[in-house]
Amino acid sequence: MNELDFKQDREIAKDFLINFADANGESKYIDILQDVANRKIKVVQIELEDLVNYKDLDEEFLRRVTENTRRYIGIFADAIDELLPEPTEVLPDDEADVFMTQRVVEGNDSAGASDPQKKMPPEIKRFYEVYVKASPKGRPFTIREVKASYIGQLVRISGIVTRCSDVKPLMQVAVYTCEECGFEIYQEVTARVFMPLFDCVSEQCKTNYAKGKLIPQLRASKFLKFQEAKIQELAEHVPKGHIPRSMTIHFRGELTRKVSPGDVVELSGIFLPIPYVGFRAMRAGLIADTYLEAMSVTHFKKKYEDYDLRGEEEEQIARLAEDGDIYNKLSRSLAPEIFGHEDIKKALLLLLVGAPHRKLKDGMKIRGDLHICLMGDPGVAKSQLLKHIINVAPRGVYTTGKGSSGVGLTAAVQKDPVTNEMILEGGALVLADMGICAIDEFDKMEESDRTAIHEVMEQQTVSIAKAGITTSLNARTAVLAAANPAWGRYDLRRSPAENINLPPALLSRFDLLWLILDRADMDTDLEMARHVLHVHQAKESPDLGFTPLEPSLLRAYISAARKLSPTVPRELEEYIASAYSSIRQEEAKSNAPHTYTTIRTLLSILRISAALARLRFSNDVAQSDVDEALRLMQMSKFSLYSDDRQRSGLDAISDIYSILRDEAARANKTDVSYAHALNWISRKGYSEAQLKECLEEYAALNVWQIHPNTFDIRFIDA
Amino acid sequence: MVGLPYDCLANPLGAVRSTFDKAMSSDSSTAALDGKDWGASEVFRQFLFDDGGLSQVPLLNSSTMKWVQPNTLVRFRGMIQDMLGNEFYVGAYKDGDKWITNKFADASHDPSNASSDMRIWERQLLYCTPVPGQNSWVECTPDAMRNPYISAISPLREKRQREDEAIKSDVDMVEPGYAIEDSPNLKKMRENGVAFEPFNLQKVVTEGSASNSSTPHVERDSVSCLVKIYDSPESDLKLNEVFEFVGIFTFDPDLTIPIDDKEVMDDFCEDELLCLPPSKVPRLHCVVHRKLGASDLVSSPHLELTTPVIKEIREALIGHLTAILGHDRLAAEYILLHLLSRVHARVDEVAVGKLSLNLTCFNKENMSVLGNNLKLVIGSLMPFTECLPLTVDYLNSVTLTPKKDYITNRLVSGLLQLAEGSHLTIDETPLQSGTLNSGGLENAQVLRSMMESQKVHYDFTYYKMEMPADVQFLILSEGKSNILPADLVLPFHPSSVDSASGVDGEMLKAWRWYLATMKSLPHSIDPPLQKAVEDDLVAARQEDRSLSREDFSRWLTMGRLMSVSFGATSLSMEHWQMVKELERLRKIRFQGNL
Repeated sequence: MNELDFKQDREIAKDFLINFADANGESKYIDILQDVANRKIKVVQIELEDLVNYKDLDEEFLRRVTENTRRYIGIFADAIDELLPEPTEVLPDDEADVFMTQRVVEGNDSAGASDPQKKMPPEIKRFYEVYVKASPKGRPFTIREVKASYIGQLVRISGIVTRCSDVKPLMQVAVYTCEECGFEIYQEVTARVFMPLFDCVSEQCKTNYAKGKLIPQLRASKFLKFQEAKIQELAEHVPKGHIPRSMTIHFRGELTRKVSPGDVVELSGIFLPIPYVGFRAMRAGLIADTYLEAMSVTHFKKKYEDYDLRGEEEEQIARLAEDGDIYNKLSRSLAPEIFGHEDIKKALLLLLVGAPHRKLKDGMKIRGDLHICLMGDPGVAKSQLLKHIINVAPRGVYTTGKGSSGVGLTAAVQKDPVTNEMILEGGALVLADMGICAIDEFDKMEESDRTAIHEVMEQQTVSIAKAGITTSLNARTAVLAAANPAWGRYDLRRSPAENINLPPALLSRFDLLWLILDRADMDTDLEMARHVLHVHQAKESPDLGFTPLEPSLLRAYISAARKLSPTVPRELEEYIASAYSSIRQEEAKSNAPHTYTTIRTLLSILRISAALARLRFSNDVAQSDVDEALRLMQMSKFSLYSDDRQRSGLDAISDIYSILRDEAARANKTDVSYAHALNWISRKGYSEAQLKECLEEYAALNVWQIHPNTFDIRFIDA
Repeated sequence: MVGLPYDCLANPLGAVRSTFDKAMSSDSSTAALDGKDWGASEVFRQFLFDDGGLSQVPLLNSSTMKWVQPNTLVRFRGMIQDMLGNEFYVGAYKDGDKWITNKFADASHDPSNASSDMRIWERQLLYCTPVPGQNSWVECTPDAMRNPYISAISPLREKRQREDEAIKSDVDMVEPGYAIEDSPNLKKMRENGVAFEPFNLQKVVTEGSASNSSTPHVERDSVSCLVKIYDSPESDLKLNEVFEFVGIFTFDPDLTIPIDDKEVMDDFCEDELLCLPPSKVPRLHCVVHRKLGASDLVSSPHLELTTPVIKEIREALIGHLTAILGHDRLAAEYILLHLLSRVHARVDEVAVGKLSLNLTCFNKENMSVLGNNLKLVIGSLMPFTECLPLTVDYLNSVTLTPKKDYITNRLVSGLLQLAEGSHLTIDETPLQSGTLNSGGLENAQVLRSMMESQKVHYDFTYYKMEMPADVQFLILSEGKSNILPADLVLPFHPSSVDSASGVDGEMLKAWRWYLATMKSLPHSIDPPLQKAVEDDLVAARQEDRSLSREDFSRWLTMGRLMSVSFGATSLSMEHWQMVKELERLRKIRFQGNL
């Protein structure tokens, strides 16, 4: 490509900068240039995306910019030099300006402007930096994918920063003055190493053979901030059985000090080879080392609130939201390798979604995080569930009750060994702020340590009053605990309270306490034997019958759902209140209650309902949400109730009948719609199939009539 | 192959160039050759495998390194310990009108006048070390290398060669002063290790494992090697796999000039290759590589693979193991199954096919004889074995997991960076009560998780990388090991402590071959038997509620191993009954123990 083409491209660049209009019709780059002229900003970032959207897009030009980015940065800079408007504000002259004015004055009377080394390089006049940012569309490269063919091109990669050097000055233009002729000599530095000039090259000295000695002028030279960093592939991008690759990144000017080790970043930059110098070149032969000249830095955020949806994800979520079965689909995709436990997974999905936090006018806060405790016999995959949830959650901490002290969970005051200062260190619960804290072996925790959790679970703060430090740390975390029953296995001969063996104060803080019993059941045993056999035979898990959603999509959906804050409409308030009071009454009737129903239970119902509404992307809680919430609460104790029922001699069918009869009597109606009936019985933990069976059986006894199409029930008055 | 203008063995670069020239003359665009082979590797393949040239290629180790000429073909066997990423190099450049290739070479002959007309290609850099825990018999395959240059070289050289071999054969020699100068911690550890295990002649694993070196388990007669791989898909070569590389050995004395451009290179952008001087770590430009499976490492005894023969070998091996184990036949049966186990599938988090074994009821007296005999036998049967004395001090000080060192940009090896199919014996008998520090606790957890899921989490500071492993764990302890819960716990009941008689070499060879071959046999369960097994499992669980998924899984694994040990590829009722019988006997031992 010859010089002419570059001139032409400079015109294209100029044209683009002048005429580009963003979505609001404003000329974005002219505004930026004005700000630059007014010394408000130092960076002109040219987004390739804008080039793509530019009305007079020249495909060829775009391709040239991407493939030879470094050259085109110069072209854009030249174009900007020409376009730069006069400052509209009065600016105080700084040191560089003083030099510049002086140079301009001198330049007028200097005749040797044709001499390349005397001509002032444009870089020294520029007080801004030009960057080209790669298009954010599509997936960024992993380091592994950047091959030799990308050398010189603009690429976008993601990785984790592993090392960072100090920020150092890097000479961009070296300036010398000659002892003999007094001319200022400029030397552009493009590499990291350069050979300083010693002899004056001006016309005057040359003709005189004066060999004027050059004196470097540090104050007049132009330096850039320069920082080197190494990034490494993210764990999820490394193929199995490989070591993560790393890459050297160079940051210049305003891009320095943007990253620190441990940051997960997305970079766009130019992939360039480093020319070796000196002995190194000899040693290395013709091997080229490469680096990425950074053009832009974007940090990845791990919180739901900062989750940016990518284009295709948004589409997928929209498609999922339209699908009516999203609740089931999402919950099944949680820990798909764990068989069954559908309702538990539903509950865990709601834990991930959570309800909005509420702050009352008087400053009281009501938490939105759901707390769940899984209690059950050993070997029912509690720990796997916990670990899986932690993996799905963008921020999650897994700990075991046995392995962590109260201090380890909340926060500790420690003495720094170097400075002897007291420092506050957050424990697991503080680290899980705005996320999920999974505590395994909750029952094995020391009683004293467990009390530390009380505060976290309701107030969502950790208070410290130790060693002169009195403070309160945020711990807005959802607690997911797993515990074994008091005697290792659930003892059916003892009361639930004895089995659970956690203080009521703690239990009431859990929105759901799930009891999972491992029953001696031929079917489950057979299922297990088949599963193990299948695993050994086919070397894979048995077909799940559905394709689970990707965890990333799950995360995206949940984060989208978390943006909503649904409210309870007035007409539902009555419904919830009556549901709550009926639970209280039932508990009062029973002589061995399984639950401690308190006002917290009511809040739990609201929370679960709100989370369900969020899943539907609805701003209003619907009655179906409340019913599902009640059903989940019921199901959580199901394994116990089914036992009770057996003891009380009632089979499922007659129980359903009595439920329906009671409800109808309460409402003082003889008609019960099928939908209502289904609601009621599912709250008690029965399935639709059982309802149908019951309907048929009692219709045959002429207790009620069933509408042939809608299955609505009409009691026949006796 | 008649009339080749080059000698693949002595002048492999000649072969590379002439094929390159040929390719260039037929199709003159170099771009077409980007990341492709132009027929050079075909030539080498033909030479090595079809023409039987492989056995002529010298095997690179510390003794052969002394006489192997640069730019000749060598072989190297090793485990991929680290991957140094891709290296970009000028693959071809134009010298005048002629394209010259730089592939399979360190540098061009005349880098100064390289024109701007060049193609940049890339190659993979792999850092390969000798396989950790490799037993000395592995190298001594019958087609062991003879020096092809030996006649051309002075007799003095020959003599040295012989001396080297003498040293090599002296397996039990404990090397004095082995890299312990600067690490008092290590020294202490080693003393402990030695004190507790006076009979452990085979190997003291503690060597160098706490030091910061990347090559901890260096065998005396092998070297680490920097292998450069060309045109091979990344997925072919994985970390911790054992490979044989055939490639061009390069050694350029110019490159060993000490570099003192420190003022130019601030310590940040340190070149990782600086810490691998070519004088210590030879470069190998690989032309052909192949993965070595278990059966590639043992020599075939030229036996016919018939059921009676296999049964005979099995019987003899069981007999030997029984003798070694103080006439405990049950333990011998379990050890055999254990030695045949390997991870053959991973389903979700479960590694299917592993069978770790915990032999309990060892004490200090019988440990010194029986335990060490057992270790020796396993060492003579399995290609890669390691022993690990579990003590509190040891756990507190050792580095088990590999860790990435970002200063040198290298993966610092840990003890648990083991090749696929390695055998690890953990001796818990010297363990005494004490306090574990955080490092020790972590090490214990690492061991435990490796045993449970056959995965090691490599430490990359900012995250952990999960690396699959396939290591057989054998734990020798006094009581049931709670730190390391094995799949199988078997109380060990020796009836005598007399040491076993020696075995002749042919027998050992047959056993090695038997273990390696049977291990890789396929296995299936036929539908009728599947039903029977299913019923058995359900019935067992109805009887004993405490049976878990893991127990089922273990039984199936044992069933597989049992039938495989008889050379059968599908489970038969007979073998399934044998497994059940073994488990019954084991259960009885437990009751007897309580």
